[in-house]
Amino acid sequence: MFSLINRSDPVLEAAGLRTPAAISSSRAFDIVIATLAIFLMAGSFHIHFMLLAGDWDFWVDWKDRQFWVSITPIVAIVFPAAAQAWLWRMFRVPFGATFVVLCLILAEWVSRIFAFHGWVYFPYSLVWPATLLPGAIVLDMVLLLTRSWLFTGIFGAWAFGLMFYPSNWPMLAAYRVPAEHMGQMATVGDLIGYHFIRSATPEYLRYIERGTLRTFGGESALIASFFAAFMCSMVYFLFWHVGVLASKIHYLPNQMKKFMGMGGMKETDTFTGHQVPSELEGARS
Amino acid sequence: MTTSSNDVRAPASDLSDDTGDRAWKAWLKPSIIGVALISVMYIAVLQYQDIMGWKYGLDSTSAEFDKYWMTLFWSQIIILPVAAVAIWAFLWFTRDRDLSNLDPKEEVVRYLRLLGLILLYTFCIYWAASYFAEQDGSWHQTVVRDTSITPSHIAIFYLSFPVYIIAGVSAFLYAMTRLPKFANGISIPFALAVTGPFMILPNVGLNEWGHAFWIMEEWFTAPLHWGFVVFGWSALALFGLASQIGLGIIDALKRAYGDAEDFRIPGPTDDMLEYSHEM
Repeated sequence: MFSLINRSDPVLEAAGLRTPAAISSSRAFDIVIATLAIFLMAGSFHIHFMLLAGDWDFWVDWKDRQFWVSITPIVAIVFPAAAQAWLWRMFRVPFGATFVVLCLILAEWVSRIFAFHGWVYFPYSLVWPATLLPGAIVLDMVLLLTRSWLFTGIFGAWAFGLMFYPSNWPMLAAYRVPAEHMGQMATVGDLIGYHFIRSATPEYLRYIERGTLRTFGGESALIASFFAAFMCSMVYFLFWHVGVLASKIHYLPNQMKKFMGMGGMKETDTFTGHQVPSELEGARS
Repeated sequence: MTTSSNDVRAPASDLSDDTGDRAWKAWLKPSIIGVALISVMYIAVLQYQDIMGWKYGLDSTSAEFDKYWMTLFWSQIIILPVAAVAIWAFLWFTRDRDLSNLDPKEEVVRYLRLLGLILLYTFCIYWAASYFAEQDGSWHQTVVRDTSITPSHIAIFYLSFPVYIIAGVSAFLYAMTRLPKFANGISIPFALAVTGPFMILPNVGLNEWGHAFWIMEEWFTAPLHWGFVVFGWSALALFGLASQIGLGIIDALKRAYGDAEDFRIPGPTDDMLEYSHEM
């Protein structure tokens, strides 16, 4: 049954995994960890994202030029940075950002389809999620090509921020078409928001661009994109290191060992939890 | 199994070793059974919400709400802690009391079973942190709520959060009672990955208090919700746990399949261990 995935390849050869049982166990590990990662990232990235940038992502009439464009990339780069720190440093897997963003968008679509549309009947035109995939692909490409988190934080994160609005524009443009409604001008997005009643989103709660006396009107999206790009850089550096910290291996001595009937076990490998020191030296050579 | 003998140079004696097959079954079993059970339960909940939410879930002062929703709430509040204690006690009292003499091949199998349990844990996290959390956003736009225990809150805070806590602690206990490395030292990433999401449940208290006394409008990104986010980050510690499990499996494979010559897998790099040495 598992003959296909048991085929030897250079990596397995290099790792010294030669017996069928060893190869099979190693492949089982790969598959279970990949499946597990989808659920984990869908869950944790999604709760992070929806509680920091969710409102702009839920509703088409919140997708403005100022807040949506600024906040979404800044919040969204957290998990790609952390995932890259683990997958790239430890395994040279070059799709960390794309993978977690894909998980997020998958999770969002499931809930938009079954909850927002299926349960409470909002139209998809009101509740479609933004995409972050193009920026994530570029972020991964920059890390793959430069092999440096510093350059990725400078160039990749900037691209991630700058590309957000353009990559969403094809989906958004239709909702920016103006319409006249009872003598007032509104965009199609506004009208969709007016029409499909939301009980807890009064108009004054909508955080969107309203103009200021210090704003030069035509450039909002551009300025917001550059601000987002700059902030993405900062957040990327921060959360790359959070990812590094999260992938550290720590053990603390188990105080209950004796109680568990393990009093006789060696203490030596408590801290690394891995091997006794002499074995460790041998394995490194 | 035998078809792979053309591709890999293995001694004939190894071909009868069924550890590989057992490892597959070990993680598939808890994953498939657990994921199927959880899916069935949650899909039933979704159907119940779909019908009873609109029929009886709109007015919490009505007798029907009491009958169809509060009954569900109270039964969850009773059943889930009982289930938690039962499962955790089972894992603890059936612990392996002779871990020092564990057969390395059996250890490989147990690592995979642990991964199956963690897969189940992350599946429960998906439902709680992603599906039901965002679903709550949709119900907030449907009612102007008159209680903290709405049909969607019953499903998210008092069902799906306890369920993933039960799954997470169970996986932790399984590792602690079945695998020498996790029994010998308490894995900090594992503890973080279990207790962080655990803390999301107490945070519900702060959240509901704030909503009850400060603001009733639903701005989903309101600062009141940020506690959930910070605790959600602790799920990142599963990176470290995955590294621990990976190294543990390699270590067990090494002991199961002979000398280090055959397994030229390096030990943990200094980079991965530097913090551990400092402690």
